[in-house]
Amino acid sequence: MSDLDKWVAQLRACRPIPEADVRELCHKARELLIEEGNVVTVNAPVTICGDIHGQFHDLMELFRVGGDVPDTNYLFMGDFVDRGFYSLESFLLLLCLKVRYPDRMTLIRGNHESRQITTVYGFYDECLRKYGSANVWRYCCDVFDYLALGAIVLGASNTLSPASESSAAQEYADMNLEVEVCNADGVSTFQFPRQSRSLTSSSDPQPRGSPNGSSSTAGHSSPATGNKTGPPGSGASGSSGGSVGNPAGAVLCVHGGLSPLIQTVDAIRLLDRKQEVPHEGAMCDLLWSDPDDIDGWGLSPRGAGFLFGADIVKEFNYKNDLSLIARAHQLVMEGFKEMFDASIVTVWSAPNYCYRCGNVAALLELSEDESGLGVFARSNGDVSRSDGGQEKGRPNGFDTLEGPARRYRVFQAAPQDSRGMPAKKPVADYFL
Amino acid sequence: MMAQPVPHQSATDKKRVKVYELQNNDWFDRGTGFCTAAFVPVEGGQKEPKVMVESEDQPDRLLLDTRICKEDGFQKQQDTLIVWTEPGNGVDMALSFQEAEGCALIWKFINNVQQSMTSMGGPDDSLSDDLAMDIPSIQLPPPDLGNLADLEANMRMMSATQTGRDALAKAIVKENYITQLISLLEIAEDLETLPELHRLCNIMKTILLINDNGIIEQAVSDECVLGVVGALEYDPDFPSHKANHRQWLNQQGRYKEVVRIEDEKIRRKIHQTYRLQYLKDVVLARILDDNTFGVLNSMIFFNQVAIVQHLDHDATFLKSLFDIFKDPRESALRKKEAVIFIQQCCAIAKNLQPQARANLYHNLLRHQLLDVIHYGLRSPDVSVRVGATDVLVSMIEHDAQMIRMTVYQQIIRKQPLLTDVLIELLLVEVDLGIKSQISDALRILLDSSPPQPQDGAGRGEPDGTPRQQPAVVDPQQELMLVTFYGSSVKKLFRPLIELERGCEKQVNAVNEDIFGYLTEVLCFYMRQHKHRCKSFIVENQIVQRYVYMLDCKEKHLQLIPIRFFKHLAMLRENFYFKIMRDNDVLRPVLDVLVRTLPRDNLVGSACLDLFTEVVRIPRDPTSHDAHLSDHFVEKYRERLLELTDYKPFADMIKHYEQSQFSMAETYTVESEDERVRRSNIVGSRSHMEHLAMDPAQEEYWNTSDDEDDHSSVKDMEVVPGSTPSGKPLVDYASDEEDEVNDKVESSARHAETENSAEAAPATGSPASNTAAPVTTTPPERISEKRRREQDEDDELDKLVLHKRRNSSASAKSVSSFGSASDGPKKKGLGGSPASRDQTQKKTISIIMGSSLKTAAVGQDPASQDENTPT
Repeated sequence: MSDLDKWVAQLRACRPIPEADVRELCHKARELLIEEGNVVTVNAPVTICGDIHGQFHDLMELFRVGGDVPDTNYLFMGDFVDRGFYSLESFLLLLCLKVRYPDRMTLIRGNHESRQITTVYGFYDECLRKYGSANVWRYCCDVFDYLALGAIVLGASNTLSPASESSAAQEYADMNLEVEVCNADGVSTFQFPRQSRSLTSSSDPQPRGSPNGSSSTAGHSSPATGNKTGPPGSGASGSSGGSVGNPAGAVLCVHGGLSPLIQTVDAIRLLDRKQEVPHEGAMCDLLWSDPDDIDGWGLSPRGAGFLFGADIVKEFNYKNDLSLIARAHQLVMEGFKEMFDASIVTVWSAPNYCYRCGNVAALLELSEDESGLGVFARSNGDVSRSDGGQEKGRPNGFDTLEGPARRYRVFQAAPQDSRGMPAKKPVADYFL
Repeated sequence: MMAQPVPHQSATDKKRVKVYELQNNDWFDRGTGFCTAAFVPVEGGQKEPKVMVESEDQPDRLLLDTRICKEDGFQKQQDTLIVWTEPGNGVDMALSFQEAEGCALIWKFINNVQQSMTSMGGPDDSLSDDLAMDIPSIQLPPPDLGNLADLEANMRMMSATQTGRDALAKAIVKENYITQLISLLEIAEDLETLPELHRLCNIMKTILLINDNGIIEQAVSDECVLGVVGALEYDPDFPSHKANHRQWLNQQGRYKEVVRIEDEKIRRKIHQTYRLQYLKDVVLARILDDNTFGVLNSMIFFNQVAIVQHLDHDATFLKSLFDIFKDPRESALRKKEAVIFIQQCCAIAKNLQPQARANLYHNLLRHQLLDVIHYGLRSPDVSVRVGATDVLVSMIEHDAQMIRMTVYQQIIRKQPLLTDVLIELLLVEVDLGIKSQISDALRILLDSSPPQPQDGAGRGEPDGTPRQQPAVVDPQQELMLVTFYGSSVKKLFRPLIELERGCEKQVNAVNEDIFGYLTEVLCFYMRQHKHRCKSFIVENQIVQRYVYMLDCKEKHLQLIPIRFFKHLAMLRENFYFKIMRDNDVLRPVLDVLVRTLPRDNLVGSACLDLFTEVVRIPRDPTSHDAHLSDHFVEKYRERLLELTDYKPFADMIKHYEQSQFSMAETYTVESEDERVRRSNIVGSRSHMEHLAMDPAQEEYWNTSDDEDDHSSVKDMEVVPGSTPSGKPLVDYASDEEDEVNDKVESSARHAETENSAEAAPATGSPASNTAAPVTTTPPERISEKRRREQDEDDELDKLVLHKRRNSSASAKSVSSFGSASDGPKKKGLGGSPASRDQTQKKTISIIMGSSLKTAAVGQDPASQDENTPT
């Protein structure tokens, strides 16, 4: 058994590895991460996850629901640490898996992957208690500086394949689903076929928000959205303006959101990301911003990053040939929430956040486009993938690209008994 | 019973509200209407407290008509939400108000009614109009295993309201109820009746979460603590687990008493504090609400204050403590424990009031604390070195001037200097934490800014953002710098100075960490020490050394010189531009980039970032030297032409060609650059892309040239609460700065006039700069204009943002966890109050799915997540 496998086994049991091993692991990870661009290119199929926040047992539940590594290709959108009591084990396990299966794991940086934030919200304290010194925290923070800022998912399919073995593939394909929501056991709880473009006129006067979006009450469609029925959290409200045929546009994954300083995905590639998350600027915004029901840009109540409205998202997606932005960063009780005509989705993967918020968590699965049409031949190093939105010759505003087919797997916190009683490690000795 | 419509006193009294009902886990909208709450006469001449909502569309229709009674447990969540369970049918209901004010009024009524009910302790049938406000006294039945179930239910119910909690708390303390419960624990454990143990645990949780100081104090007392945590070992949430709290707390030897503390009260406080921390971190960690968390924290805090104050005044104690280090017969272990004791003392002192902290530190210094630090820094035991460094850093953070004075004394007395000890340790230390703390210490100690009042604020800034240059040179400071640049500096940067071509062999896994720290320190000195640092850099060919470092195979090491060169460019000094030209530093960086491409990796991005910075260097029409970027294009044009896919190079060539063009036009009225500059001043956003700055870099830059930026920095400091990160908004002063560069020493007056001229309307927020597209093809113009208008807003926003940041930052430093600073309310329930309808719906939408009865998410620490990074 290699060191790496040994570490994985030990961390899976929620036991920290020795300080010297952490150092070695972090150095290996650094070598690997330094070769990644600021925006990593990932090919579908991929399972996209949101915040984890040190909820180790729920992370194990996530792997149970989403499939184990390396069988499933994962993309984690940051905020691995803080809040929960097992930040260390959670982050090191993810890092180990990254080093062990570099092509099956993508980790991008969240706003909590920062020295300043972790000293306030728990990770620093946890390392100090578990090792008696802050060195492990320092090793981890050094790795944070190397994490990519975002990812682009290419080659996602427009259609879903069955979630489980039971249903016939052909039947399934005929349903032409755009969104499916499954529970933790893989049983489909909601299915939404792709609407043809003609059904949704672009002059629809109603706000075309998601059922749990800003413009209607949660959980069920209000009269405002009319025939657009969708599950809580989905934007399957006919708003994707579906059409036939692949390819679907690319999906951008970032932890927070957009930045007024970033007009193109390529602009992200020009940043020297190896630094503590700054208090402002493009890098800060990508990790801190939130979508909101406003026009244009707004002040963020968080004090860092910005709020951005539907117009910003749609323009950005249009300019950059994106069909969807996947992001995390905000607690959503249903685990996921599509907004702005399904042009952006928030994925949250920490169930019962802080051990008491009572929320469920979700994963977003994008399947592989097997027709071959959707695959962009493009290496990680490709730049200038878009023309920066110079001229598209589409006079009537920004047509949204067709979104990829999305399957959300919703899951609850790990059963209480599968873990010990979660608690912080107490201080061992005291002088005062 | 048919309720009659209630007459409204006036139209303004109406409270617009949406009524929701939980059906199959979905909130069903029963409609919008106006809410009233009042005592309504019913049959038999009695009056009943009621909440009613009449429909907005059909005023005759009642959307809601509910009687306030004891069981329905109304709760207010957020500012605009009231939730409860209808006692008749058990349906969960919610009222979502348009305005917080309306919500507050209705809530006040409900709350009063409910409190009076609780105080009566009986059914609410005979309710009168007078609302009892005193805390009623209640009696608790003596607990036995038989009545635990009732007790649990009653306590839970009572603790739902504030009055109930107060009454409960009073009774529990008076009747010494905790002790009574604890005696049951033993019985239940002997009988092994799990249900009773679970009930005891629940009761104990309820009691602790009443959140009463007296109760918590009793719970952590010597007599009770083991019983209390013992009961909490049987958590019904984990039926198959039993915690081992008693075992942990009972373990002897957790308390290390280096020197006996004679005062028994203080000793008790020490133990109590440890138990409180254990309660907070372990026993209650999962279930703590904000209030109890706050109470625990403040109890811990006040205990610590009392303990440290006591020690500070206990002269005999301090003497025995420091005598440990003077006695050669003392064991290394005891000395180690004494160092760690002092370390914990200083850690606690960080929370004290500045004056109390200053007293303690001075007191410690009087007892030869520095000798202890010297002893600790040289210890072979890493935890002792960590302790000593920690103590030193907390002193420096508290008052660097105090430590500088000590160094000054050492210079006068020709003693070994503290700074030299630190340098030696930095170069040989293997522990990463010590290294990073020492490099911080070396920065702060040699910070040549004037001393500040002893508030400790702004010290220890991780990036050591420099403050203004002192108007009058402090002779002591001067002596320190002279001494430092006389000999110490070469020791400190020895690893750098020793780098030669082919440094592969010189840099290895063992010493590689040092270069990162040295570079940070050096960059700080470059900003602070100006000419002294310049001579050091020239004499030792430091820039050339960094070029050598680029040859290292390890990519993470290549990043260090790339960052350093970017720093050189950001200093915006002709002096450094010249060095960069003379050493042709950009060529090897280009080589690195070309080797990296077409792979998109961190090294490539870092190189592109550097070139972007080079393009951003403002053009100085008065300078005889070519712009760094032009110089580079001139030399390597062919190579760069192949790279025009990358924006920085396309820009470089474009600007080069423009500058050639303007040079050709000998008689032009104004150069391209001047036009740009002038248009900037007028506030136009066109053609300033090359000035678009990353705000972080900009901050770096704006605060870097203290002498040049003197006045602008000063201007900014008028903003109250402005921190070093509150950077000047004057972005374009740099244009002028170039003219005065190199004449740094004499330039303050010059810069002042220029900066003041620019201070007002030309300030552009970073947001605005890049938002303006570079290449403006005709169809884009309109959108550009629109964006420009938005930019104006953004600037305002930025200004406001700064204030917010500062205020929230200070709020955070005062209060700890529970601070209700401008945390993202959004995260939990609701949104901004800006748009009512949306807010309402959102509010409800997020509650959905969770049980209504769980604490409002907004009150949860989770919702205080991601505050401003302070």
